[in-house]
Amino acid sequence: MALLTGTRGYVVRKVTWSLGTLLFVLVFNFFLFRLLPGDPIKMYTRGRNTPSEQLIKLRAELNRPIGTQFLEYLSNPFASTINSTRFNRPVWELVAERVWPTVLLVGTAILIASVAGIWLGIRSGWRRGGTFDRWTTGATNTLYAMPEFWVGMVLIIALPMFPSGNINTPGVSGFPDVFLDTAWHMVLPVTALAIVYLAEYTSIMRASLVDELRQDYLQLARAKGLREDLVRRRHAVPNALLPTMTLIFLNFGFVIGGAITIETVFSWPGLGLLSYEALRGPDIPLLQATFLLFSIGVVVFTLLADLLYAVLDPRVSSQ
Amino acid sequence: MHPLVKRALTVALAAGLLSAPAAGALARTPDPSPSQAQSSQDKVTFTIGILSDVDSTNPFTGIVVEAYEAYALMYDYLVTSSPKDVSPQPSLAESYQEAPDKKSWTYKIRSGVTWSDGTPLTARDAAYTFNRIIDGDFEQTNYGNYVANIERAEATDDTTLVLHVKKPTPIMERLAVPILPEHVWKDIDGTKVKSYANEPEDGKPIVGSGPFRLVERRKGQFLRFEANKQYWGGAPAMDEVVMRVFLNADAMAQALLRGEIDFAYDLQSNVFESLKNKPGITTRSSKYPGFNEIAFNNGAALADGTPIGDGHPALKDKQVRLAISYAIDRETLVARVLNGNGAPGDTFIPSMYPALHLDPSVKQTYDPAKANQLLDAAGYAKGSDGIRAKDGKKLALRLFVRDGAESQATGEFVKSWLKDIGIDVTVKVMSEDALTEIIGQGDFDMFEWGWVVEPDPDYQMSTFTCGKRSYKDGDAIYADLSDSFYCNPEYDQLYDQQSGETDPAKRAELAKRMQQLVYDDAAYAITYYYDDMVAYRSDRWTGFVPQPDPDGSILFQYGVHSYLAIKPVSAASPGSGAAADTGSGMSGSLVAAVGGGAVVAVVAVLLVARRRRAAGADERE
Repeated sequence: MALLTGTRGYVVRKVTWSLGTLLFVLVFNFFLFRLLPGDPIKMYTRGRNTPSEQLIKLRAELNRPIGTQFLEYLSNPFASTINSTRFNRPVWELVAERVWPTVLLVGTAILIASVAGIWLGIRSGWRRGGTFDRWTTGATNTLYAMPEFWVGMVLIIALPMFPSGNINTPGVSGFPDVFLDTAWHMVLPVTALAIVYLAEYTSIMRASLVDELRQDYLQLARAKGLREDLVRRRHAVPNALLPTMTLIFLNFGFVIGGAITIETVFSWPGLGLLSYEALRGPDIPLLQATFLLFSIGVVVFTLLADLLYAVLDPRVSSQ
Repeated sequence: MHPLVKRALTVALAAGLLSAPAAGALARTPDPSPSQAQSSQDKVTFTIGILSDVDSTNPFTGIVVEAYEAYALMYDYLVTSSPKDVSPQPSLAESYQEAPDKKSWTYKIRSGVTWSDGTPLTARDAAYTFNRIIDGDFEQTNYGNYVANIERAEATDDTTLVLHVKKPTPIMERLAVPILPEHVWKDIDGTKVKSYANEPEDGKPIVGSGPFRLVERRKGQFLRFEANKQYWGGAPAMDEVVMRVFLNADAMAQALLRGEIDFAYDLQSNVFESLKNKPGITTRSSKYPGFNEIAFNNGAALADGTPIGDGHPALKDKQVRLAISYAIDRETLVARVLNGNGAPGDTFIPSMYPALHLDPSVKQTYDPAKANQLLDAAGYAKGSDGIRAKDGKKLALRLFVRDGAESQATGEFVKSWLKDIGIDVTVKVMSEDALTEIIGQGDFDMFEWGWVVEPDPDYQMSTFTCGKRSYKDGDAIYADLSDSFYCNPEYDQLYDQQSGETDPAKRAELAKRMQQLVYDDAAYAITYYYDDMVAYRSDRWTGFVPQPDPDGSILFQYGVHSYLAIKPVSAASPGSGAAADTGSGMSGSLVAAVGGGAVVAVVAVLLVARRRRAAGADERE
């Protein structure tokens, strides 16, 4: 149980840091968007024949003292009553609508890519310089060098049996149908995204495994008479896994941010696109909401990665 | 609707990331025959690809062109615009008339029309819609300009609507206001309407009376409309219309090639070119009521005449503006910037409206000699560096262009042409948001932008009146509609006169005089009228009705003419449609095999190269 007490301090430290970061983000967020150029009222009223009384009312709203606005914001940054200036709807409603397509797309892609990437990395790293290694490294580097949107377009052209975009087919309803339809639509975008992530995971996993190859403890394990298979699985891989886990968790943090380019190619209505649209206004309430969400995503997953470190490598928490 | 909106959105999408490489890939793709992906149950579906989602299906909220198209499918309007020449034409009102005393207009509403829930549609619904806008606050935002002059709407019986007007106005023949069902909208008050989505819930369609009814909507993905087979204007030949959202034009073009969609709207010229000569697909570049211009700072001032901004004083001189207009080679712009999909521009009501457009007798066509002569006469002498100056002030002008390829290309052309006549131009690229701000403050010399002109030209005309210059509220200056700060009392007088003229012929005469004034004063140098570029599956659909005849738009018109007229090809001429469908699976998998093979080959080649390098790296270690 000594391990647990040592870990407790570590956990408390990490959580405190994360909370501090979040608080900073909250404050920073507020002022950052008020420094952006552009006139939100002009943005909202462009294209509408808005009477001048209404304009004055809107301006008065925006021109309130910044201190008052800040306090109001701090009291509830997630307030459901705040409307997006561009869409004229509550911001969190807009965000909620876009969260699941993004999580579904990017989450699935990362899951597939990390499982496959780790497996490929281990196989090629363990027999470094072998045929498998050369082919895998060559292929992953090639794929990694391709821009996501280009991979996406190539897939659309090469595989016309899959839908070219969107999440659902108009008119499809009912439980199994919708589910299958969505999966069908996910094939191309998930593949495109996974291909790109795959290369990253494979090369990191391979590199860190190669680093472990010449370590003395592996020689010791072999000297004890362990089979190569066991040496790899019990000793080398757990140690080599750390950098890859960090990367995977950091990427999960960015899942929320969406993949703007892939979302664009496949007309996938996710959060990445929403934030791009918000930035064009600028739609300050919406920007605040999306940025806050992205920051929380990154902070939470970084924290999770830190905590996982302690589990994977007890040395981390004891220092 | 504000004319700039559509343009702004188009440009935003054009700035997308994919244009060049993907378009190249497109050109090499073989054509897969149509797949029946769209509709699950043997329904005849007409699918339109759009590049920006309908922002709201609530007609009081949406502003993009695609939203207005959706309202036109869902609701009826008192009047529409004829497909032949865009002139006013009765619609839900089978006839209408101005009272002899010019104090009211009477509209005879069609009898026997019902809402999609079975309730009869009467003149009371129409009166309710107009009164709601007149009395409303938020309701004014989209339709305020149509009702500004209407005092009261009144239904004297089930088929008679009387609109009482404050003064005579020609807008009464152009009331593009969707008629809403009172029994549904009376429950949505002035506060609720702001966030009212007007989307189908639990599979129940939105109550409307138009040729289609909205049955399903997924934001960012699609809108699905079901045909109203009892429509008074005739039953549409299709069972459903789907508008499918694409976030990039190349993917939309692919979907058209694969047959996932039947119609691709609002194409950029590179994608448009890549779709030419593909089997089963027809590309069409149609006349469109939009123009682009180089706008001058004619002397920025507030509506009350107080000067503002930092515009170059030389541009207050009409001769300088005229000289610049003569130095612009519009033919080259059409050929090089629009790839020929447009026509050289002159006056501010495009030639798409033949009744109102003024074709000037003396045109400001490319003539550098004349431009030089005008500047010499105005007292601008060339200096040793080739730049003209007067009273020690150089003729050095700023030209602001927008962050789109077309705008920037125009800017570079104009810069080089003006250099030839001794004017130094600095081109600066900026976002439309930033430019809007700068224009309102009058802090510019010239900029490149455009407008889309509605069938009723009042709005466009108003942009050149003195009263639409910027205004002050407290210490801040805000933009109104004028972006040239043109101010001419004679023009203003004509504007007031036409706004009360209900005789179409007399009004057209006034409109032409106004265009002549603006043209002679060179408030703008209008560069071109651009076309609307679309592509569609002509192997599946036929019977599109152009507006105006013969080279106008075939969809996204003023009215729903094409939706009521188009038919599936197989129905029109049996056999041809079926022939196009055979072997679709075959060619589809062939394409997959070829495409997949190509990818594998590329990877393999790269791998071999990599292997050599990897071997080298190992030796070094």
